[in-house]
Amino acid sequence: MDIFGTILAPFKWLVSAIMLGFHDGLSFIGLPPENGWTWTLSIIGLVLVIRAALIPVFVKQIKAQRGMQLLQPDLKKMQQKYKGKTDQLSRQAMAQEQMALYKKHGTNPFSACLPMLIQMPFFFALFQVLSGITQARQAGQGIGALSHEQVVQFDESSIFGAPLSASLLHGGPAGTDQVVVSVLSIVMILAMTASQFITQKQIMAKNMSEEAMASPFMRQQKMMLYVLPVVFGVGGINFPIGVLIYWTTTNLWTMGQQFFVIRRMPTPGSPAAKALAERRAAKGLPSLPLLGGKKDEDVAGEVAAIELKTQRIQPQRKNRKKK
Amino acid sequence: MHELSSAVVLFFRTAPRILGTFLWELPRNILIILLKTYRRIISPLYGQVCRFFPSCSAYALEAVTVHGAVKGSWLAMRRLARCHPWNAGGVDHVPAGHRHWPEGQTPMIVVLNNPDLFLAVRSDEDGRPTAA
Repeated sequence: MDIFGTILAPFKWLVSAIMLGFHDGLSFIGLPPENGWTWTLSIIGLVLVIRAALIPVFVKQIKAQRGMQLLQPDLKKMQQKYKGKTDQLSRQAMAQEQMALYKKHGTNPFSACLPMLIQMPFFFALFQVLSGITQARQAGQGIGALSHEQVVQFDESSIFGAPLSASLLHGGPAGTDQVVVSVLSIVMILAMTASQFITQKQIMAKNMSEEAMASPFMRQQKMMLYVLPVVFGVGGINFPIGVLIYWTTTNLWTMGQQFFVIRRMPTPGSPAAKALAERRAAKGLPSLPLLGGKKDEDVAGEVAAIELKTQRIQPQRKNRKKK
Repeated sequence: MHELSSAVVLFFRTAPRILGTFLWELPRNILIILLKTYRRIISPLYGQVCRFFPSCSAYALEAVTVHGAVKGSWLAMRRLARCHPWNAGGVDHVPAGHRHWPEGQTPMIVVLNNPDLFLAVRSDEDGRPTAA
């Protein structure tokens, strides 16, 4: 086994175990175990588990973005300092100063690449499990936590007559209707790329602060908005239908999460934040309190505590008082 | 004829050293090419996500350039382990190495990762004509 395979082995086991857990649960409540839809729901269950596990990271990032409002004055000052300096070195100096500022305030709008990196081994593992199903069946083996009987069952299961392990490029096992596989694959690829495109477009149109819009990264980002769907569309012809289900579901989750964020907790300084402020003003509600930063009451409490300390009355000996 | 033979001798004397340096630096240079490709093609997909300055890939490129393939990779891996949502991030420079470059030939990544250092040098140069 190569290094890549060795690293992926535990992930393959985990991915197949979670899927199997959902499959057993769904069979228990009365769904037919050999049916493709039961396995489809198991894949969706896997997505829900992974994405739900990442919610704390996401919430932390949102809170950090809200905390950014607190350091707006400092950021403005810094931008004034670097105004008109467009050379690369000055930009780098500004980036460095900005990071130091975030650190000083204990907030950071960037979530680090961890959330993306975490999903990658799971995705590769699922890819290997699903595309290895037919091979494992022929070799009389199991995959990960799946026994050989379950592998056979999975390999024979299908939705709309298309096996979950079939892909547009490689087709399915002998006897499958290639037209159905092609049509379903193309529909899924379109759904996958469309959901990704819409999410990205929404973020760029509504949930970016003016500073981010003006940054030099913006042009690259805009280009990627159109390049990425093409990359995934082309890559998709190699994806088994099960992987396409996984990817589409996770994109839909991202989309829902993003709609929620744009509506309820937008990035400060973005058009969505303005819209939220207007909606709240129309309802006569106060503007949203800040999250992530130190609350005013806490500071007031601390000040009061200090004052109490200084007001402590000096103890005096009784005989001194008599004088 | 004499010149030719001395050139041949020079070649045989320096060629092993050049080849040796090439082979010795090969892993480092392969890593540099890989990192530069990553920074050019894959990094822009994500936009800025790193909580540190310099970003993890810039850190890795500088570390490998300055410290070589083995120590550079080790430093880069330690940085990646530090870069997670529960770390406050901030400025985190690559430790100084033993490699030195002739003036004006400092690798671009070293300059870009230490802007305050090199901005100071540059403003000195800018200031000189007016001072004279």
